[in-house]
Amino acid sequence: MKKKVISSVLSLCLLLPFAMMLAGCATDNTPVLRVYNWEDYISEPTESEDGSAGDDYVDLIAEFEKECGVRVEYSTFGTNENMYNELQINPGSYDLVCPSDYMIMKMISEGMVEEFSDDFLQNSNYAKYASPYIKNLFEDNGWTKYAVAYMWGTMGYVYDPAISESVEQDLSSWAGIWNARYASKATIKDSVRDSYFLGVAVAYREELMQLKEQYDGGTIGADDYNARITEIMNRTDEDTLEKTKNALISLKENLYGFEVDSGKQDMVAGRISINFAWSGDAVYTMDDAEPYYEEDGTYVEGIYLNYIVPEECSNIWFDGWVMPKGANTELAETFIDFLSRPENAVANMNYIGYTSSIAGDAVFEEMVDWYDESADPDNRGFDEDGNALVPYDLNYFFNGTSDGNHADGDFIIYVSEESAKRQISAQYPTEEVLVRSAIMQHFDDEINAAVNEMWEEVKGLPIPVWAYVVIAVIAAGIVVIALSYVYKGKRKDPKPKKGYTVVKKG
Amino acid sequence: MVKFHFSRKQLCIPYALFLILFVIIPMFLILFYAFTETADGAIRFSFANFIDFFTSAAKLSTLLMSFTVAIISTAVCLLIAYPLAYILARSKFKKKNVLLMLFILPMWINFVLRITALRELLDLIGLLGTENYLNTIIGMVYDFLPFMILPLYTTLEKLDNSYLEAAADLGGNKFTVFTKVTFPLSMPGVISGITMVFMPSMTNYVVSDTLSNFNITILGKLIDQYFTTYDNWHMGSMISIILLVIIFITMLVTGGFKDGKQEARGANLW
Repeated sequence: MKKKVISSVLSLCLLLPFAMMLAGCATDNTPVLRVYNWEDYISEPTESEDGSAGDDYVDLIAEFEKECGVRVEYSTFGTNENMYNELQINPGSYDLVCPSDYMIMKMISEGMVEEFSDDFLQNSNYAKYASPYIKNLFEDNGWTKYAVAYMWGTMGYVYDPAISESVEQDLSSWAGIWNARYASKATIKDSVRDSYFLGVAVAYREELMQLKEQYDGGTIGADDYNARITEIMNRTDEDTLEKTKNALISLKENLYGFEVDSGKQDMVAGRISINFAWSGDAVYTMDDAEPYYEEDGTYVEGIYLNYIVPEECSNIWFDGWVMPKGANTELAETFIDFLSRPENAVANMNYIGYTSSIAGDAVFEEMVDWYDESADPDNRGFDEDGNALVPYDLNYFFNGTSDGNHADGDFIIYVSEESAKRQISAQYPTEEVLVRSAIMQHFDDEINAAVNEMWEEVKGLPIPVWAYVVIAVIAAGIVVIALSYVYKGKRKDPKPKKGYTVVKKG
Repeated sequence: MVKFHFSRKQLCIPYALFLILFVIIPMFLILFYAFTETADGAIRFSFANFIDFFTSAAKLSTLLMSFTVAIISTAVCLLIAYPLAYILARSKFKKKNVLLMLFILPMWINFVLRITALRELLDLIGLLGTENYLNTIIGMVYDFLPFMILPLYTTLEKLDNSYLEAAADLGGNKFTVFTKVTFPLSMPGVISGITMVFMPSMTNYVVSDTLSNFNITILGKLIDQYFTTYDNWHMGSMISIILLVIIFITMLVTGGFKDGKQEARGANLW
């Protein structure tokens, strides 16, 4: 009996390391903030070869921990759905999460998130520095109390202007990549929602263009125009699904392929010339493709890419912070307050490359530093050769967020005509683009299933003819083998030769 | 002094726990999810996933395409691997093991890395972005060829030479000896190789995604989609079960479950 106990204890000892792993770390008195964010979505230093932190990017988490005496447990997710499932399985395991627009809407509608305090909404850095445009957008949609925006942007095409003379003209419509001229030259996202948007925009192109005419002609106002575009882009009835499916299937034949993350590298490598992209990725792609000088002065060749938002409509996307039910709201608000300082927003924009929802002097000055081509900082608007530059108006975004360095109405960046089509147009869309940019609502379960089914058909159909041939040949082969077995079975007892008889065994 | 004596039963405990935790319980979870659905926040028993699968054009065509890709990949693997394994096993070359090592060597390099490299290579040749099916099959063959070579080599190497000599003595020419003696005797290796290549070819979506630019959907990809993006674990589990059944049937047909003789089982090592 004793022996049995001892050996059982020993075999349990084999499991002990696992048990210890599960037990987790020891607790101390430092408050802990549990943050759940996208991968690569906050400024952090690059790890150098010896494992120590480099000094290239600001370590925002470490700074926050030092400043506020908080320990941050930072984890990351890859898709909104993974994040949502994690929250469903372990409710109350995070204080702050950063899903995308539609997932935020879903979480709000399901009552999964805590409200922000009045004090935060009125007095925080977010209240002070977040762009008025973003705040209005949130107010109009009723999200103000539940979510704050982190990064935002539009969707459009990144393209190589050298691919054809008419490319800019062709891509002023979403339908441009259906053109046989760009066969095997374009990629779209391997993502249901983004590609659905593209399909709908093309399926209802005529209606959208009529609206645009009315808006340009002054028959309808900006708000009305935007509301009607939003209605069209959120259609999910059977007819729309069918049209969208057909549009996307016919596009598939003309595409290079779908992509999740490889579109950027494929553009830079020149494998493709048009990429359906989120504005943030577009900036990254254009930066990467550009020619540049290395530190020792050698010139590295590259190409200048452009970004365009077609004239039918676009999609406004954003990722934002929400506090799941049961969160430590006070700490979570402190963290957002910290991130909303313009200088920290700059650190994030530097690292991530996306556009922060935070405005303010530091952000604007960084943008001037990045994009403004004026030769004279005091008398802007002319380049080194004295040619007039194009004003790029960012007042809609920055007005009212300055600490006094800039007056409202002065938030203008001067760029050359070519540059106005590049990074800056992806970093900050113009007001004219925003008028025709719609928010895509979240689909309820039933619609979601129908849209997914549509996408599955786009991805899985049509079956090439040769596949049927292969299947037929294999089926025929199986039949032949089966028949031969039957035939063999019959011949198992060979007929005795003439003059002989079979002697039965046993 | 205390003497420790482990009985066989007790030594089994760690593995038994592992088996229960990571094999049996997950299997039941998959079964549970496959035959339930979530409606209004409540989970209830249902055959809806099963019916949906066999009435959806998209899913059936994905099944068909996975099948086709897997069958072609397996056939190509067999055609390449058999002569190679045969020559290698029959040759009198003393450093055979070194040669064999060379064929297995690619398996030691991370597979994602190899597929990414292959993508660059296909781009260089000009196949990338145009020949999606061909690329996927090339990728599968490239990836799974060692799994075909190894069992074939093991069986062919163990083949008793006296059988072949006897067949030759009885007047069989080389072709007859091969078709009547060598090939039938190497069947266990062939079957083992086919199972090793066919099954992963139906599910290894990293290959099809990377080399076809997400143009080709195979069953593994579909399962992944249901778990990660469509957020429908029920259908994902159902497809996994259907795949399991397909694999089970393949094993049954090819005789993978047979308690064969010693030499036949020897080749099923892999």
